[in-house]
Amino acid sequence: MDIKFESIEGNSIPYMVMMSAFALMAVVGLITTFFIIEKGLWVTGMTNRVPWGLQIVMAVYYIGLSAGSLVISGLYGVFGKQEYKPFARIAVYLAMLFLIAGLLSILTDQGRMDRVFVEPFVYFNLRSMFSINPILYIGHILICVIYLWALFTEKRKLTTIVATTAFGWAFCVHSGTGAIFGFGARVLYESPLLPASFVAAAMASGTALMILMIVGLFKVTNRHVDDGLIIWLGRFLAVCLLVVVYFLMVENLYRAYVVELRSAAMYYLFGGIHSILFWFGLLLVGCFIPMFLLFRRKTGKQIRWIVLASALVVFGVLCERYVIVIPGLTHAPEIIAGMEIVQSPIDEGVANYSISILEILQALGVLGVIGFLFGFGLKYLKLLPDEARIYERAVPAVANIRKDESGVAVGK
Amino acid sequence: MERRDFIKIAGGTFLAGSACAYAFRFLTASNIDGLIVENLTTGRKYGMVIDLTKCIPGCTACVEACHNENNVIHSGDKRWDIHWLRKVTIENKLSPEVGKKEVLLLCNHCDKPPCAQVCPVQATYKRHDGIVIVDHHRCIGCRYCVIACPYNARMFNFKSEEEWHNKDHPKRSHGVAEACTLCAHRLDKDQPPACVEACRNVGTGAIVVGDLNDPRSEISKLVESRAVKRLKEDLGTDPKVHYIGL
Amino acid sequence: MFDLNKIKEKAYLIAALAAVVVILIPIGYSIVTNLFAGPPQPRPFLEMPDEKYKECVRETEFMRQHHWELLRTIREEVVRYGKRTDININKCRECHVSREGFCNRCHNSVNLYPDCFGCHYYPEPSEMAEKMRKSGDKAILFGQSIERLPDLSGE
Repeated sequence: MDIKFESIEGNSIPYMVMMSAFALMAVVGLITTFFIIEKGLWVTGMTNRVPWGLQIVMAVYYIGLSAGSLVISGLYGVFGKQEYKPFARIAVYLAMLFLIAGLLSILTDQGRMDRVFVEPFVYFNLRSMFSINPILYIGHILICVIYLWALFTEKRKLTTIVATTAFGWAFCVHSGTGAIFGFGARVLYESPLLPASFVAAAMASGTALMILMIVGLFKVTNRHVDDGLIIWLGRFLAVCLLVVVYFLMVENLYRAYVVELRSAAMYYLFGGIHSILFWFGLLLVGCFIPMFLLFRRKTGKQIRWIVLASALVVFGVLCERYVIVIPGLTHAPEIIAGMEIVQSPIDEGVANYSISILEILQALGVLGVIGFLFGFGLKYLKLLPDEARIYERAVPAVANIRKDESGVAVGK
Repeated sequence: MERRDFIKIAGGTFLAGSACAYAFRFLTASNIDGLIVENLTTGRKYGMVIDLTKCIPGCTACVEACHNENNVIHSGDKRWDIHWLRKVTIENKLSPEVGKKEVLLLCNHCDKPPCAQVCPVQATYKRHDGIVIVDHHRCIGCRYCVIACPYNARMFNFKSEEEWHNKDHPKRSHGVAEACTLCAHRLDKDQPPACVEACRNVGTGAIVVGDLNDPRSEISKLVESRAVKRLKEDLGTDPKVHYIGL
Repeated sequence: MFDLNKIKEKAYLIAALAAVVVILIPIGYSIVTNLFAGPPQPRPFLEMPDEKYKECVRETEFMRQHHWELLRTIREEVVRYGKRTDININKCRECHVSREGFCNRCHNSVNLYPDCFGCHYYPEPSEMAEKMRKSGDKAILFGQSIERLPDLSGE
């Protein structure tokens, strides 16, 4: 049952087009970043009331997407499901790239990017979540590198150890990312549930992205993957979504129930564009439709529906990140108890934020960098297995499906 | 060269380089003779009392003095303008008929500052005399402190301004956070802060800054004898700006 | 396992090209510009204050080598501990009138550009001269006559 891993040829026209597109995006992002350094951050549309914008949203989103490796390494390394071994390399490589993307997003968001490489490590502040998190991210990147090395050299024992470590570390990474907001002083941030719900949302988005990547890559490169594997991941995704919805429900019900938080909850749920994103983007498109598709017996076993559900989840979790970061800032804190500020030289009250072109270009630039690295890795590293099959001795229960429906023959 | 050797050498060099970079700080941080960095414990705890009953409506002498002294420049855009000290008009939410009132809002110099707690580089910190201050030489501009401040008293330098009112005092480049420093540079020289001086010059004397630990100081007597209020005391940040007649 | 040969073939070529761009071009540029630079430049010299102010706050040799450490220590003390002494960055400019002649000439020659004066003020020599004219301190500021000051900035 040895799996042969291969790299792709990488000489086809679509590959070249993809790589040049990613390179172009990276260059545009770099130019935008230099423009922002030169002019100051006001050109990005962030204001004193909303000092965090799309870059932080994207950073936490990317960190969440890296959880695909958490799932795969958990299945393969911790729970010993050998049939997920073919995806281990690609999952870990993607996780590393998305962590790099998260760090790049945070980096390009700083006011003084020149100081980011020295000061945070020299003047480490143990009480700050923003100080702990980069350490967690960099640690995870290093663990990913060791993990990849262990996978490439087929060191079985080391792989198991590193997979377990990465599994635990990834939990810390996603909880820590949630803690940036959850331990904050803003009314709509402050919540001990946020780290846990971040882990759930990260696992949902990571699994969804893994499904998209596996199905897409295997289809494009004419490789075989057993439907049972994808279907099982789809089930897992549905369970993750259930947990996400549960956490969202508890959090918002708590806010709506406690008298002092009720106005904030009303603002969050019915207060503007972010509410539309919450109800339609996150709950309807991101959670309920995918859950319906995945739990339904008929659609939950067809690859195209699972892929559609995954795509919706990837979009929905982006909305989730947005409705965590932005409304917490635009919501007006009550500075003087019982009083309303009617006139002020700065924007009191509800603040406005709109995503600007420059922020989008920057985010695309980060995506370009990791996309380029991904293409590079596909070409020069042996990431893809020749095929991914369910072995006879370790058949999961969900793999017992009617094989004639899926269109692709299962097993040899 | 074998790949294994290459990785070993490259990894070793990387680790050694990082270690050197980290050690560099301690090697070069030798104290210059006679100038030993020490934590001075003067036992002072600066605080502020704002007597809103004396404050003249519409008067912004303190705000202007503050911004002239500290080179805080306004370009007129509400979104990015920095206000160390701002005068706002408030109205009771439940009973608007009581009327409007003007209040000064500024950094509260909390005894347990959330902004200092979240700063990833310890650029924001509380001085030994209780003043919460930003080290602009160290700030990386992550804006976490702006978010953590419950009083909206922190601002971020989104733009850098060319204007320079008070050339004896530095201005700030774009990309760092800032807030009221209680005119620490003046207090260190036993001068009153700019806002206090301006308020005195107007003839009001509504703002008092002094040592809260000294029972004989004017501010301690005010805090003792008058009904003072602080903002958001329930948060437990223990702010040191007191209001009379809020 | 890696296919090492394949990586060697392509990745090494790219790495070599990158190395050429990153390392060799700047080196080559500096060599070429040096070749056509003409006669060697004299060692940068700093404007000396008056003879009677031979010593700065420390010995001259110490100041040459360690002024940045001194400034950094002072900065730490002032900003973080509020210990304001007689030595501060505003005092420097009282003797060393011209930033061009005092800081920049040396820093430029070693390609070091610390960003002190984006936020701290260092007056132009002409401005300092104007200030002195107004204050009536006519003849000399620590040995440098007003007439001499403006042409420092002209260099």
